[in-house]
Amino acid sequence: MSPALCAMCRASRALIIRPKNHQKLCKACFIAIFEAEIHHTITSTNLFSPGDRIAIGASGGKDSTVLASVLKTLNERYNYGLDLVLLSIDEGIKGYRDDSLETVKRNAVQYGMPLKIVGYDELYGWTMDQVVETIGKKGNCTYCGVFRRQALDRGAKMLGIKHVVTGHNADDVAETILMNLLRGDLPRLARSTNIITGDEMSEVKRSKPLKYAYEKEIVLYAHHKKLDYFSTECIYSPEAFRGSARSLIKNLERVRPSAILDVVRSGEDMARLVPEEVTGISQCKSQKISLSNADGGDEGAGGCGSSNGRSSGGEMAEMEKKLQQDEEAAGREVEITSVSSHANGQRHDRIGGKSHLRSRAQGDTGRKLLRQTLGTCKRCGYMSSQEICKACVLLDGLNKNRPKMEIEIDVEDEESSTLRRRMEGIALAAG
Amino acid sequence: MVDKQDLTTLNRPDPLCKRCGENPSTHRIRSEQVCQKCFGQYITTKAVKRIETYRVRGSAKVARKLLLPLSFGASSASLVHILDRHLQGQYDRMNRVTYELYIVHIDLDIDDEDRETSSMLLEKYKARYPRHTYSSIGLEEVLNLQIIDWNNLGLPHPPSTDPQKPGMERLKVLIRSIPSTTSRVDIISTLLSRLLVEAARTSGCECILFGDSTTRLAEKTLTETAKGRGFSLPWQVSDGMSPYGIGFSYPLRDVLKQELLSFCSLTTPPLTDLIIYQEPSSHVSSSSKLTTIDDLMTQYFQSVEENYPSIVANVVRTSSKLKPLSMDGTAACGLCGLPVEEGTDGIFGWGGDQNPDARPARENEHHGILCYGCSRSING
Repeated sequence: MSPALCAMCRASRALIIRPKNHQKLCKACFIAIFEAEIHHTITSTNLFSPGDRIAIGASGGKDSTVLASVLKTLNERYNYGLDLVLLSIDEGIKGYRDDSLETVKRNAVQYGMPLKIVGYDELYGWTMDQVVETIGKKGNCTYCGVFRRQALDRGAKMLGIKHVVTGHNADDVAETILMNLLRGDLPRLARSTNIITGDEMSEVKRSKPLKYAYEKEIVLYAHHKKLDYFSTECIYSPEAFRGSARSLIKNLERVRPSAILDVVRSGEDMARLVPEEVTGISQCKSQKISLSNADGGDEGAGGCGSSNGRSSGGEMAEMEKKLQQDEEAAGREVEITSVSSHANGQRHDRIGGKSHLRSRAQGDTGRKLLRQTLGTCKRCGYMSSQEICKACVLLDGLNKNRPKMEIEIDVEDEESSTLRRRMEGIALAAG
Repeated sequence: MVDKQDLTTLNRPDPLCKRCGENPSTHRIRSEQVCQKCFGQYITTKAVKRIETYRVRGSAKVARKLLLPLSFGASSASLVHILDRHLQGQYDRMNRVTYELYIVHIDLDIDDEDRETSSMLLEKYKARYPRHTYSSIGLEEVLNLQIIDWNNLGLPHPPSTDPQKPGMERLKVLIRSIPSTTSRVDIISTLLSRLLVEAARTSGCECILFGDSTTRLAEKTLTETAKGRGFSLPWQVSDGMSPYGIGFSYPLRDVLKQELLSFCSLTTPPLTDLIIYQEPSSHVSSSSKLTTIDDLMTQYFQSVEENYPSIVANVVRTSSKLKPLSMDGTAACGLCGLPVEEGTDGIFGWGGDQNPDARPARENEHHGILCYGCSRSING
């Protein structure tokens, strides 16, 4: 049998099976189409304007390295007129960041781009290693995510840049969509599907030009372009919901390669089905939990969390506990109201009375969380929907040398290993 | 079958039922140890509460007709049993009923022997629950539906209209031409729901009562999302009017799959010989060619339900909050019939479809409107 020819140029030998649609391509055509697709994403969404200064959130990992390389190529090829800068965050994770930051420094030279490194220690007074020392390995992704979110924006602000691009890929977006379904967080699901995130009011906007690019294709591109990237993933394990969603996505991709793109499409469609009263304002139980809890994860991993499927499971156990308590509370609520309606002897009152009581109960417990209007943090002046921003709240906890989420620690002590095994079971059995 | 009991019969530190305080506890409702009777009552109440809209109101009216799709699984069998008891209760009290059930089995079996088995099983239902109307419809009947324009779907091998060929043969050709196992299962379930809706319409049923458990609805939420059918979720998991003009209702939406499995052995006599048990999903084929997205999700939620039942319920609560968009400016998908917004049909021409060069040639042919999910399953 003669070797298969590239499905696009029909001239060279096909060497690559595209992970996305199993098309057989030669190396040159794969690189060309990968770049053309990113170009299509950028132009069809009017992501940039000539003269824009863009900070590329660079971790030294494959995603951001490919993003930097592709943006440089496209900027020159199509005269985007962009001023590209590399922006790196030093979380202070020994053995992870030290080496990857060296990679970013080499990238800066290779691509001829200026580089700015911002450290957690200078921004917050805590490195991630110190955070983990204090709170343990679980829930640390929350801290890391919240801190990084601000760090990139603050770094961009220092540079006078209004637009940060990140290396989030289609797998990350799909993972976030499934994760938010599992966590019951529709507002976050809706927000995460946009290519541009960050409110119009925020000073720094965020976008993810690789939103439709498959992780596997990013790896292939990096490989064939011989890009210099750092391949070790974060040594701390991902939060349980994300870990669970991640292994689902991997299994889905194996069963049907288009599934990643299909999940992204579903997410975009579903974002428009989220009723207004749910978006932005959190009223339901599930959102209350997620807002006050595992957070900072509007979008994908972006360098955090490993894909080795290790998950603590503690977050799921904790949410289960809260939901059960809510259920019990709701059960009690109905009983009381139905008793009082018996006294009235009026059926209509029962319905009215119940919802009235329920909304009042919610107002009492969740008032602080109900309004999400954008203001600034009283402590640090950083943009926040709360009086005190998430980072400062977490910092308060850290500085008191006391973890913010006490229940989590309890759970970890007793159950962490069994839960982890269970979660691994879930992750692996599906294979 | 042994594991089936695990969730509800494990640990019994307290010998007496927490609810009635009389009988020994044998089952568990979330964190409570209860007796058989209270457990059965709990399941029944959960279901009956959901169809309260059909309870007696005011003076006598004509009973409403409701279609109940029967798959012979534990969920739909339980629903038949529960509603049969409910109707018996109404009859005993007032000598009349507020609704009637039209029980429909859609036969997916390909060979005659299997069809024989399922028609015998249906006879058992008729014998045990004689009050209701029954019907069995072969899936191939879908080929006779006027509402589907088979030649306009972009199918590689549209089913021939040759009346000489048996419908079964034509259906087989159609299904075989679908590119993957996941897509075949997807198309079959799409055809199944169209048949059900048509059966409801022609028989004058105003609503379809699906037997889906909480767990099944959670599976569906993620399965449909993974198949690019996220847009259809408001009609797949929520009670309400469907775009077909027939109501969809899920009376078992507050009952977990495992709870239903326990329930089936509690009735007198047990429902077990009325049920065809699916192979446990832990035996899902290791070949990814044969595994479907549905299998993956079934397996996933089986484990989640075991450890985190409230999370399963929360997924359903969450997806049930999605609201359908207005039907203005929509066209019905040629296959599933759900409304597709103008310009959003097919798998091409959206943000995630970035390069026409990357498309295999066949798919550029012109055909009627298809939703993203149907287009994906037909085109691979």
